[in-house]
Parts: sequence; structure tokens; C-alpha cells
Amino acid sequence: MKRYVYINDDEASRQQLYCVNRISNRKYTVLNFLPKNLWEQFSRFMNQYFLLIACLQLWSLITPVNPASTWGPLIFIFAVSATKEAWDDYNRYLSDKKANEKEVWVVRQGIKKHIQAQDIHVGNIVWLRENDEVPCDLVLMGTSDPQGLCYIETSALDGETDLKTRVIPSACMGIDFELLHKIKGLVECPNPDKDIRRFDANLRLFPPFLDNDVCPLTIKNTILQSCYLRNTEWACGVAVYTGNETKLGMSRGIPEPKLTAVDAMIDKLTGAIFVFQIVVVMVLGIAGNVWKDTEARKQWYVQYPDKGPWYELLVIPLRFELLCSIMIPISIKVSLDLVKSLYAKFIDWDNEMIDLETGIPSHATNTAISEDLGQVEYILTDKTGTLTENRMIFRRCCISGIFYGNESGDALKDVELLNAIASSSTHVIHFLTIMAICNTVVPIKSKSGAISYKAQSQDEDALVNAAARLHMVYANKNGNILEIRFHGLIIQYEILETLEFTSDRKRMSVVVKDCQNGKILLLSKGADEAILPCASAGQQTRTFVDAVEQYAQLGLRTLCLAWRELKENEYREWSFMFKEASSTLVDREWRIAEVCQRLEHNLEVLGVTAIEDRLQDGVPETIETLRKAGINFWMLTGDKQNTAIQIALSCNFISPEPKGQLLLIDGKTEDEVCRSLERVLLTMRSTFSQPKDVAFVVDGWALEIALRHHWEAFTELATLSRTAICCRVTPSQKAQLVELLKSCDYRTLAIGDGGNDVRMIQQADIGVGISGREGLQAARAADYSIGKFRFLKRLILVHGRYSYNRTAFLSQYSFYKSLLICFIQIFFSFISGVSGTSLFNSVSLMAYNVFYTSIPVLVSVLDKDLNEETVMQHPQILFYCQAGRLLNPSTFAGWFGRSLFHAIVVFVISINAYAYEKSEMEELSMVALSGCIWLQAFVVALETNSFTKLQHLAIWGNLIAFYIINWMFSALPSSGMYTIMFRLCRQPSYWITVFLIVAAGMGPILALKYFRYTYRPSKINILQQAERRGGPILSLGSIEPLQARTIEEDVSPLSITQPKNRNPVYEPLLSDSPNSTRRSFGSGTPFDFFQSQRLSSYSRNCKDN
Amino acid sequence: MASSSAGGPGSGDAAPPRRNSKRPKYSRFTQQELPACKPILTPRWVISAFLLVGIVFIPIGVISLFASQDVVEIVDRYDSVCIPKNFTNDKVKYIQSPGSKPPCHRILNVTKHMKQPIYVYYQLDNFYQNHRRYVKSRNDKQLRDPSSENDISGCKPEDSNSRGVIVPCGLIAWSLFNDTYNFSHNNQQLKVNRRGISWKSDRDHKFGKDVFPKNFQSGGLIGGGKLAYNVSLSEQEDLIVWMRTAALPTFRKLYGKIEVDLQKGDVINVTLGNYYNTYSFNGKKKLVLSTTSWLGGKNDFLGIAYLTVGGLCFFLALSFTLIYLIKPRQLGDPTFLSWNRGPGGH
Repeated sequence: MKRYVYINDDEASRQQLYCVNRISNRKYTVLNFLPKNLWEQFSRFMNQYFLLIACLQLWSLITPVNPASTWGPLIFIFAVSATKEAWDDYNRYLSDKKANEKEVWVVRQGIKKHIQAQDIHVGNIVWLRENDEVPCDLVLMGTSDPQGLCYIETSALDGETDLKTRVIPSACMGIDFELLHKIKGLVECPNPDKDIRRFDANLRLFPPFLDNDVCPLTIKNTILQSCYLRNTEWACGVAVYTGNETKLGMSRGIPEPKLTAVDAMIDKLTGAIFVFQIVVVMVLGIAGNVWKDTEARKQWYVQYPDKGPWYELLVIPLRFELLCSIMIPISIKVSLDLVKSLYAKFIDWDNEMIDLETGIPSHATNTAISEDLGQVEYILTDKTGTLTENRMIFRRCCISGIFYGNESGDALKDVELLNAIASSSTHVIHFLTIMAICNTVVPIKSKSGAISYKAQSQDEDALVNAAARLHMVYANKNGNILEIRFHGLIIQYEILETLEFTSDRKRMSVVVKDCQNGKILLLSKGADEAILPCASAGQQTRTFVDAVEQYAQLGLRTLCLAWRELKENEYREWSFMFKEASSTLVDREWRIAEVCQRLEHNLEVLGVTAIEDRLQDGVPETIETLRKAGINFWMLTGDKQNTAIQIALSCNFISPEPKGQLLLIDGKTEDEVCRSLERVLLTMRSTFSQPKDVAFVVDGWALEIALRHHWEAFTELATLSRTAICCRVTPSQKAQLVELLKSCDYRTLAIGDGGNDVRMIQQADIGVGISGREGLQAARAADYSIGKFRFLKRLILVHGRYSYNRTAFLSQYSFYKSLLICFIQIFFSFISGVSGTSLFNSVSLMAYNVFYTSIPVLVSVLDKDLNEETVMQHPQILFYCQAGRLLNPSTFAGWFGRSLFHAIVVFVISINAYAYEKSEMEELSMVALSGCIWLQAFVVALETNSFTKLQHLAIWGNLIAFYIINWMFSALPSSGMYTIMFRLCRQPSYWITVFLIVAAGMGPILALKYFRYTYRPSKINILQQAERRGGPILSLGSIEPLQARTIEEDVSPLSITQPKNRNPVYEPLLSDSPNSTRRSFGSGTPFDFFQSQRLSSYSRNCKDN
Repeated sequence: MASSSAGGPGSGDAAPPRRNSKRPKYSRFTQQELPACKPILTPRWVISAFLLVGIVFIPIGVISLFASQDVVEIVDRYDSVCIPKNFTNDKVKYIQSPGSKPPCHRILNVTKHMKQPIYVYYQLDNFYQNHRRYVKSRNDKQLRDPSSENDISGCKPEDSNSRGVIVPCGLIAWSLFNDTYNFSHNNQQLKVNRRGISWKSDRDHKFGKDVFPKNFQSGGLIGGGKLAYNVSLSEQEDLIVWMRTAALPTFRKLYGKIEVDLQKGDVINVTLGNYYNTYSFNGKKKLVLSTTSWLGGKNDFLGIAYLTVGGLCFFLALSFTLIYLIKPRQLGDPTFLSWNRGPGGH
């Protein structure tokens, strides 16, 4: 299938063969919003369940209460979700509208016109000026550059921030500026797809412009939507894909929603409650049918018919199903959504996470996963730009064996080097020349005459700037002619070829012609392992190897510079091959690399540059704190091993020799890697129990082999090792490592700043992007974006921890209050002939779930169990969150038991206090309800750690609101509870009963809590107590930082001993929290079992890759 | 020459301008720094709380118990004794047989002085007024409003009969309790006031003044008592009382009030008409004469429960104090943090 684009043909564009350039990211339209949204909401199990219940309630024979008691909340909840969706969609519509209404210059009827971007038709010629955003996919027709070049920035498309060159098709070369308005022709291109690296099309211009020859087009001839035109005065092109059919539009996808561990646990608990409910319903249903047949037939006043309809047996179970349906709180989803968005807001609002340099606050893009932050077990971090500032500074160099900058630490200030430059030492001059021109940097001269550089990479930027400081100023680039100023001299070079940098080649070269003497030179720079082997046979590279080693030890990034003079005919021969390779269609990159290889040999190595990339502020402290919190760190970097290790040492990632130990996994072949892996694994297992800081280091190549062939062993290694350094890894390997850790059921957090981290960030449970110097790709793809690495500490220890604690309480409390009222209903059924009568009336039931019990608990989002400072001083406390100690089946069992106990208290006291002449249905129901409300207020109060005004207002205000609302209902003659509440409030026995319920319900709980708090305190309790007493806690901050292994050791006994002396009702049993059990197992059989399951899925993945 | 290089080459700071507008506004709420009080469960606090509860609850318990003890209550179960001898084996047949039944005579001895008003209750056991089929079988609209006479939804199976709709409809009204009691004392009629036994709000708002019984108890199946056709529902107080359904299977309902004091040793003769069928489900019927207190009728539960809870709180407070004295525990002792206890080996 092809599309034919007639250039500048108003007739054709009027036919509207293709969609106009209106972008639409909207999910809904006004018409389909309701059905589509409802359909989406009902695809969730919970919603289906509630709908089923609501529908069953319409059957008046079985409904115990008014159907409104379910329909009301259900509609409310749906309305809330729908409103949120609608709001999001409206915002998308607004941003679309903004993009659509942007003004662009387009040629219409031969005249340039200013129109809105959405009115661009396929075939229109669009004019862009410098720094304009490209409105749709264009095929270049002309640029201001006489060579037909233009520069574009593609960061929005692929995350690469360097400028890319695009060139006009050869057929359009040399067309006059004026004539471009009238150009006519035909572009034959494939139908829209999402491949941004491919565009196989043909162009044929109609006479009088050129002959009828077909001109092939590639992606090089296009500029795609959302790119920016840079360093080019103007460019024009013909629109080929528009609207949602552009390459960007086609590749736009909706990311999978992430589910937190807490959500998964809540789902699991919901499932358990559901099963429990079914069991209860079946038991009560059978009991009810039996009672009906034995007893109820004797109760003449009930008038049970002798023969009922066929469904008679089902009626009572279904009634109980409806009666018990409140066990699963309908409000939990809304409450959770609400508090989660508040957690996210707290992150956005946090003043302490604002990057003061740029003024950018932290931002939570994904509002739903804050709890996961508190449960992170592995952090996978990028190095450059994440741990470091990504601000490259040229520090040292070694030119022909002489080290510069070693004393002062700054080669630019080294007098020797300056002297060498002044005396125009040949090697030094060559060295500086390569620094200045062996790159793809574009110099830009501002009006004041100052030169700034647009660089592809920070390294090149550093080198060019350093060269300029050393008087070798790269002054101008005019087409292929470069101008260099050296001590007032202007030297011109003509660039003949650029042998681009690829991550496989690890070097880049330029072929230049010295315009002064006509010599052709090959200038290369690259990684040591890529340059040194290419050195000419005679040269001693020993000094350079030493230099590289020495610099790497200091954590500097090294590049080797080399050059060679080319013979005229050698170049010409090679140039021919290079052109051929460049125009191949199959395996082009590989072919080019091969051809380049033929030129890059026999190099004369000139020297080594060392560039410093400083650590960000607070990185070592952050890493140390988070490691104390029991989080394992992996560093994944594209940098070389030595540099990576040095950085790792300097930021507390690993400990130096006596304490720490580095294990290397290397090898080029499968066997070597396998052996090395086995060896490391053996050491790792044997040192596991020792207080030693063992880390393994693996490079990209070995990692590839390990992941492909030794998945099992590598996974075991991954679970054993708290620290790992992976160097020379590709973006997809980063993502694979995340996948590997996730497959072992670890919660992973990936943090990075560049486009190469995007995949890892999206893959991880939590992706954090640093809005740094490499652009915003990572930040945009991430769930959270922060300005500096050190904010991670606060993000995890403060926001993550609080979020987890709060959600843990809120969700369990929601179940508690639903179960409480449900248990009372169940008990009541035993004294109402197991017939499924509801003790409470519909209004109370509805208000109980949606109002009385939801408001007070919502303010638990303000609860703080410990001060932020305390948590920072004792990061180990995060263990409670990590291991899921606050929300797991056993804590839930505690809440379950509490609701059962409270239900018994409320029920027994109410029916005994309101017996005989007082046993009026409405009164009894309100007494029991009041008891529940009072109890829940006290439960919330008891579980709240810090009371702010808002909490007092919500907890006690809610209690007052309960009475006010019920008085209002009691004032309505038509309501069932007319006068009831007034009547009750006047009775002393009502108040006496309520206080009895509170005392009997809360007494044992307070006693138990106090006992545990004082005599079996958890670490959190101890810290709370210490915090309140002030004093010693602060001095504790200075305790000697213990090594991570120590914590691990201490945590394990803690985790094993705890369940023995804890009341299982209130303290989570460790056996129930998967993470901690896994930890205490260490390396054992469980893993083998575990991994054998993973294996099959992995091999499948491999094939996909 | 050397002076030309000040600062690193890369230090040409291209930091974007401060975007202060993006900075969130500072407030204590957004920073989660609202002033908060953080109570902790200190021994003093907890022990005094329990002590306080104990101190408050025990007197209340005593007072409640006294109040309950002050109430004089005479309970007389009559369901089995009011069956003629020849029917003892087939009580159901007796009670269901049409025709007049002989009155039943009971003698009640007043053991303690009873101050007026003395409430007369009937108590039913094992009677499920809260049964799902029963409790919903009524129509409040019909009871209230004469124009909604035909509104009989929910009243099945006692909604209408061959003569038309039933007012009041439903099982509750249909099963109206109809035993009658007459009291005499020293051969003098003891006046029982049957007015004002129902809730005023019910008479005024729930049962219409111009709603009259219609086709009531006139179908094939007779349930309980009948209603006078010329008396409006709002004045049928027996019905109003009966229709306040009880939440428990054992309940008492007010029959009337005796508005004179009864002296200790008084003998009261009760002539009762035993018409209501509780025999088919083994329900008991009891006649209760009771005075009242500020707390209601005779019910020791609250008093005992208060004493128990108060006592337990005392006990807990005491034992916590003892434990505290015997085994004092320093709160917030950092040495209990396992990571501070770390073995000193390394």
C-alpha cells in the first residue's frame, strides 16, 4: 500500500484523501463518553461485583434494604471516576487544541499564508523558521543552507539531544528560493507507520523543475513532527503524513498502568473476604432454609406458603448474599484513589525537594504508586547525570607520555602545558587540533562575537571548550570548511568525511584536508580499547595504558586521541567504498563500520584526555542512608569499568578493599563467562554470612552471555548481592536487569536521567527520572521526576514510607468497619429466624459506609508515626514497610478479629440493654449503629499517631455530624426513624449503653496495645517513645555508620524471633511476608525451585529480543 | 597567559533561569507540617485512663443496679395453665376452635409496694416479629393516608381478600395480639388505663385520624385480634403498639397502665381472655406488672455490665501498675533498636 502525495496541488488536497493535521489524543468524544467510560469501568471485577449486587437488590423479594443503599454509592463512585476521566480528557483536548491552533506558514495557491497547524493538508508546502516546532511529517524541499542541510533536534521523538543533520533530496538541490513556492511533483511513500528510522520513498518533480527522474528518499530527507529546527534560518518541506498519522502519532501508546504491591495485597485480601463471604452466605443460607422448614412453618403469623416457587431454596441464600455484600467496602476504591492523589500532591508540594538551581519542583506523574516507594528493595541507578552532575570538565591530559595537570588537578592551569603550547610543540598542537575539530560540534557565534558550542555530547563540549581555552579556538563552520584560530592564526580545514560514533565502534573519526598544505588527515578519538589496538605497530602504547589506568583510578572519563596522515589515493579509494557502504540498504551500519575499520589503523596515538564528571551534592550520604534502610543498589552505566568502580567507591557504593570485595565477572566467550560466574557465585555464597561488603562487577558483554545462557546462576547472584556494578550496558540490557529483579519478586526502582534510561524506567516498578542536563525524556517517561539524586532519600524514606503506612491503615480500616457492621447483621440474623432481616435501615447503611466511616479515616493521610528527622536518622525503620509488615494477611487477621470482637460487644450489649419492653426495632438499630460509630471514632483515634487540628475535626466532628444527621432524619415524619433519635437521646439508658459499648470495646484493645507498646515494642514504637522523650534520640544520629551487612544480619534474627513473642492478631507474622522470609532463607533450594519456573518464560523473552 | 583560564571550561553556566512561578506555595498543610500533638501510651496515661474508667463506671453500675432493683415486677406465665384440662394435649386445637372460650382466672400477689403508674405488659417468647417476611409486611402510607387506601404493596399475603383491599394490610396487623386482661383488687375493678400506651408521634403522624379499618380479619384465615370498624387507626392504640415491631424474639408490649399504688400483700385477681395462638410454635405468654425507674424496667444487665467493666478496668490499672513497679521499662530505650545492638566484631 502506498500513498501518493501531490506536492503543492490544491486540487488534490481539496479532495481530502488523507486526514488533515488535526491531532487528537482524546479517548472519548462527547457522544461516546458515557457508554465507553461505563464499559471501561465495568471491565473491573470489583465494579462488576457491585453492579451484580445492585441489580439483585432490585428484586424486592430478597433485598433486605432499599436498593438505593447500594445504587447510591455505586453511582457516586462511578460519577467520581467518570469525572476524573472526563477532566483528564478535557485537558488532553486543550493541549491538542493548543497544538492544532498553532500558526504556521503554508503555501496556498502559490502564496505563503499564515494558517493554523490543523489546516495543513497532505501535499502542502510548510515553511519553518529557526526554532520552530515541526507541525507534521515533512519531506525537505529547501533550506537556507546552500548545501541543502538543516539541523534538527529530535529529543521529543527519540530522546537524543544532539542535533541531527537533514538534507534535501538531490532532485531539489539548487532550486531557487522563489521557485519553491511553485514546485510541483509527486512523492510516493508508504502508508503511515511508526518506524522513526525508516522512510523509503521516491520523489519525482514535475517539469519545468527537472527531468522525470525518480529520486529516492530516506529518513535523512525528512523532518518529523515534534522535532525542532535548529541553527538553520529556514527550511521548507512538503507534508506527507499529518495529524494522527504521523510517525509520532502512530507510535504513541498508552503505558500499562502499574499496580503497587499494596494494591495487589488489597486485591488478595478482597478475594479472601469474598471467599469468606461466600462461605458465610452458604452456611447461613442452608441454616435459613432448614429453620424455615422446621420452625418457620409453625410460626403461623409468617404465613409461609406450603409450596413455594422453584427458586424458593435460593431466596434465603441470596438475601444473605445481599446482606453480606457490604463486607467488601464499596468506598475503598474511591478512598484509595483520593488519598493516593493527595500523596502525589504532597510530593509535588514538597519544598525540600525543589531543585534550587533550576527552581524545578519534584513531580509525581503517576499518582497511583506512592506506596511502592516505601517498599523499594532494589534501586537501579544510572551513573552519568544521575549520580554525577553530567557537567564535564576537562581536567588532565597526557600528551606523548607527559602528564599535564597532575599537580594542580587542572590541566588548563598547568604551566608546563601552557609553555608547550606557546612553544608550538607539534604533538601538543596536533592534540589540540583533534580536541577542537574531531567532533560534530557546531559553533554558534552570537552577535557580541562570543562563540558558543552546540555539542552532541557533553564530552565533546568539554573538549572543544578546553581547546578554546588553550588558544585553539574552533571558530566557525561554513559548510565543510572549518575555521580554527590559533594564536591569531586562522587555519582552515575541509571536512571530507565524518566516521560517526556508534556504541559498537566506541570511537569517531573525521577525515579532513588541511587547506593550507592540502594534506589529508584522519583524526580519531575514542575509548582506549577502541583506539589503542589501532595504533601503528611501532608505537609504544604502554604509557597511554598507564595514563588511562591512572585517570580511571581517579574516576575520570578518558578518551584517547590519535591521528594519521592519509595518502591522496588511499583516501580516494577508501572514499569510494565508504560512499558505497553509505548507500547500501541492507545492514548499512555494519557495512559502514567495516569500511571505517579499514581506514582506522596504523594510528599515531597522541595522548589521553581525562574529563571529570563531578558527583552531585549529597550522593554518598543518600546512598549510605538508603543502603542502611536495606535497599540494594545496582549501578548500570554505559561507562567503562574502572571509571564506574571509582565513582562507585567515591559515592559509598562499595567499600574499599579490607572491608569490601569486588568480584569480577568477565570473559569473552560463553565458557569464560560461565567459569567466572561460577567462581563469583561460590565466593558470594561463602561470604554471605560474613560481615563483608561484597559486590560484583560485570560488563555488558559478559552480561549479555550471562543473561542468555546462565540466567539461573545470574539470578541467584542477583539475589545474593546487595551491590552490583554493570558497566558498558545498553539500554535494553538495563531493562533486562530490571526485568530479572522483578521476576524474583523484588520491588525495583530505576532512576536515570537520559534517553537511554527510558526503557529501564518504564520497565521498573517505579521509574524515577532526573530532570537534568540530558533533557527531560527520562523525567517524562518516569513516574516521578526529581531535580537531584539526593531527593531520592526523601522521596523514599518520607513520602514512600508515609504513603505505605497510611494506605496500610486506611485499607485495613475500611475492611474493619465494613466487617463490623456485617458481623452485626449476621448475629442479628440468628435472632431473627435466619431469615435475612437487616437490623439497620437503608439510610443508615448507606451513610455508614459512604459518610460516617469514610471521612474520619481520610484524614489519616496527615498521620505521621515518626518525625521525618527520626526516619532519616534511623533509615533501618524502612524495613517495616519493605517487608510489608503493616499490611499483610496477619495484620489483616488482627483487624478482622477486632471487628469480630467489636461486633460481639455492640451486639450483646445492645440486645441486652434494650431487651423486653425496649426491644423496638428502630431503637435497637440506632443504638447498635451509635455503638459502631463511637467505636470506630475511638479506633481511628487510637490508631492515629499524630493529631492535627484537622484530625480532631474529622474524628470528633464526624461523631457530632452523626447525631445532627440522624436528628434531621428523625425530624422527617415520612422516614422510618421518625423521632427515634430524639427519643433515644433523652433516655439515660441510651447514653449509658453507648458508653458501656465504648469502654468494653476499647478497653481490651487499649490494654493490649499498651502492653505491646511497652513490653513488646516494635522498633517503630521505640523510636516513637524516644522521639517524645526528646533527648537521646538526637545523639543517636552520630552512632557509627554500620555497614550494610550488619543490618542484614540484625534484621534476620529480628524477623525470626518476632513472631514468637507477638500476638498474632496485632503483629504481622513474618512467615506471611514473602520478602523477609526470602531474606532469611539466603541461598537455598527455594531459589532453584523459583527459577526453574522463570526459565521457560525467559527463553521465550530471549527469542523475542 | 595563565590568567586567562579562570574556572573550568565547562563552567559557562547555562543554567535556565529560576522558574519561581513553578514553586509551590508554602503552607504548613502542603509541607505536612501542621502542628500535631503526638500522644504516646505512657504508663501514667494508660493507668490513669483505666483508673478513671473504673472510678466512673463502678458508681454508675451501682446506681443502675439499684435502679433496677427498685423496680417491682410481677411476672405470670399463663399460656399453659389457661388451657382447660381436657385440651392439655391438644392446645393448638383448643385455641383455634371457634366459639367463646372460658375466661381464665389468675391470682397475682404483690410482694412489695408498687408505686403508680404500674405498667401492664404482655410478654411473648419465641415470637419472631423481626422475621424478614413479617417485619416488612405493612404499608406505612396506607396507615397514614386515607387516599392511599389501595396502596398495598409489600403487604402480601394479607393485602386483600374477596371483599377488597384490607386496611390495615399486612401480616403484622393481621396477627394483632388479642388476649384481654381484667384486674380486680379486693373485689373491686382495678382500672387499667388503655390510653396513651402508644407513642404520641405514632398516633399523630404514622396512623391517620381518618383512616378506618376495612375488610380486616374478614377473609378465610383469621389471624389475631379484630378492630372496631368505626374507630380510626390513630385511636387503635393496641394496633399501634403491636405495629412497633420488636427486634428480639422475646419482647414485652404495653397493655395499659394501672394508675393507683399497690400495697405489699395485695392480691390481684386477673380475669384473662386467652385467645392468642402461641401454642403452635411453643411460644410462651406472660403477663407482667411492673413499675419503672429512670433507667426503664427491671433489667440488671447494665448495672452488672458496668460493675464488671469498671472492675476489670480497676484490675487492669492495678496490674499495670504492679508490672510497672516490678519491671520498670524505660520507654524509648535506644538499646532496644537491634541495629544499635550490632555485634561489635566489626
